[in-house]
Amino acid sequence: MRALSIAATGMLAQQTNVEVIANNLANMNTVGYKQQRAEFQDLLYQNIEPAGSQSSDSGTLVPSGIQLGAGVRTAAVYRIMSQGEMTSTSNPYDVAIQGSGFFHITLPDGTDAYTRAGNFALSPTGQIVTDQGYTVAPGIAVPQNALSVSVNAQGQVSATVPGQVAPQVLGQFELVRFPNEAGLNATGGNLYTETPSSGSPQAGVPGATGYGTIQQGFLETANVDSVEEITSLITAQRAYEMNSKVITAADDMLDMTAKMAG
Amino acid sequence: MDNMLLVSLSHQLAAYRSMDVIANNLANMSTPGFKGESVKFQEFVSNLHSAEGETGPKTVSFVQDMGVSRDLRKGTLVSTNAPYDLAVGGKGYFVVQTANGLRYTRDGHFSLDTGGNLVDADGNQVQGDGGAVTITPDDGTIHFAEDGTITGQTGELGKLRVVDFGNDAALQAEGNNLFSTTQSAEDSTDAHVQQGMLENSNVEPVIEMAKMIDVMRAYEATANLSSAQEDLMKSAIDRLGAPVTN
Repeated sequence: MRALSIAATGMLAQQTNVEVIANNLANMNTVGYKQQRAEFQDLLYQNIEPAGSQSSDSGTLVPSGIQLGAGVRTAAVYRIMSQGEMTSTSNPYDVAIQGSGFFHITLPDGTDAYTRAGNFALSPTGQIVTDQGYTVAPGIAVPQNALSVSVNAQGQVSATVPGQVAPQVLGQFELVRFPNEAGLNATGGNLYTETPSSGSPQAGVPGATGYGTIQQGFLETANVDSVEEITSLITAQRAYEMNSKVITAADDMLDMTAKMAG
Repeated sequence: MDNMLLVSLSHQLAAYRSMDVIANNLANMSTPGFKGESVKFQEFVSNLHSAEGETGPKTVSFVQDMGVSRDLRKGTLVSTNAPYDLAVGGKGYFVVQTANGLRYTRDGHFSLDTGGNLVDADGNQVQGDGGAVTITPDDGTIHFAEDGTITGQTGELGKLRVVDFGNDAALQAEGNNLFSTTQSAEDSTDAHVQQGMLENSNVEPVIEMAKMIDVMRAYEATANLSSAQEDLMKSAIDRLGAPVTN
C-alpha cells in the first residue's frame, strides 16, 4: 500500500515547512534577516497506463491514462531578498542599505562574508566593525578625537575633528552584489558567503547603477510579515494533520485486510 | 460462488488505488502549480457460462480503474513578494528547457543562476521568445508585465513564453512540477503573468478527506462482504460435509 509512504512524504514536507516558518518567526527582530520559504515539488510518477495508449483496434485513445504519483519532496528553501522596513535608531554607526547590495565583511580568517545588517560599532583601534568585531571592508578607521561621524547616501564616512572646519573624509563603504542573491549561503550571525549558485561578487559603491544607497541612523528590519507567517503555520499544521489521517486510514484498511485472512 | 470473492477483490484493489491518489493529493497540498487527481473506475462485465438448466445470459461485473483524471482548475494565488515568483492567471504554462527537452509547468518559482539566466528550482532554463532569459544585476528591479514582457532599468529584456495546448488534460505529469507532452504548444491567448505570486496547489483538503473516509468505508463494507462470503462457504462445507446420521 503506497498511501502510507506517500502520506509520510507529505508529513516530512510539512515538517520542513513548519521549521522554516519557525525560523522566520524567531528572526522577526533580527536586523537584516531575510524571510525564507520552502518550495515543494511532486515526486516521479509511475505510468501504469500511459495517456494516449490505444483503447481499441479502431484507434480510439485513452484520454487520460493512469499515472500514480509518489508524494512530495522539498525542492528548495529559498530566501526572499525583498527590502525590509527601515527603523530609526539615531546611532551614527547604524547604517541601512536602501536597495540592493550587501556590506562586505572580512572574517578573522581573512575570508569574505556579506551582510545586510548594518548595526556596526567601533573596535578598540577605532575601526568600523560588525557586532561580532569583524572588519567592514574596506576598513574605515575613525580618529579617536572625532566629534561626529556622518555617512552620506554614497556610503562616504566623514568625521569632524576639533580644530578643523571641514569634515575629514575617512573612507567609503563598499557594496557587493551577486547575480543570484537567493543562492547565497547563510552562515549565521547575519552573514552570507558566496556559493557556486550565487555567482561571484561584484563590488561597487553605494548609489551606483544597480546598487542601493546608504542611510545613516537606520537599521533594516527583518522582512518577515508575522501575519503571513502565522497563517502559513496554521495551514502547514493542518496539512500535517491531514497527512497523518491518511496514514491512519491506510493502516485501518490494511488492518481489515489482515482480519479477512484470519 | 468464487466470483463473489473475486468481485470483492477487484473493488479492494480499486480502493487501494484511490487511496494512493488521495494520499498523493494531500501530500502535495502545498506544492505550487500542483493539480489534484482523481481515479475513474468503470464496470468490467464478464460473461459466465450458464449452468445447466439456466436460461439467458449470465454476467458478473468487476470494477476496473480506467484512468486518472487531472483537475485543471486554477489554484489560488498566494503572494510571496519574491521578484522572480510568477503565477499564470488564465490558461497557460511556462516553458523550461530540461536535459530531456522542453517541459511545461504552472509552478513559477524561478530564480537566477550564476550566468544570470532565469531558471526553475532544478536549474532548468525558463524559455522566453528567444530562448533563455538573461538578467544582469545592472538591470535593477525587474518587472514582468501581464503579457510576459520583462523590463529592467535598461529597457526591455525579452518576453516569457506562456503556452497552451489543445488538450491539456492529456499532459503527462513527470514529477518536479513538470509536465511533458507530444502536443504542439501554442502561445496562450488568455494567460496573464502575475509577478510576486505563486499558484497554490488546487487540492481541496476537505474534499480529499471526505473522499478518504468514503474509500475507507467502502473498503470496510467489501471486506465485511468477503468475510460473510467466507462464513457462508465454511458453513456450507460444515453442513454438507457432515457425516450422515440416521
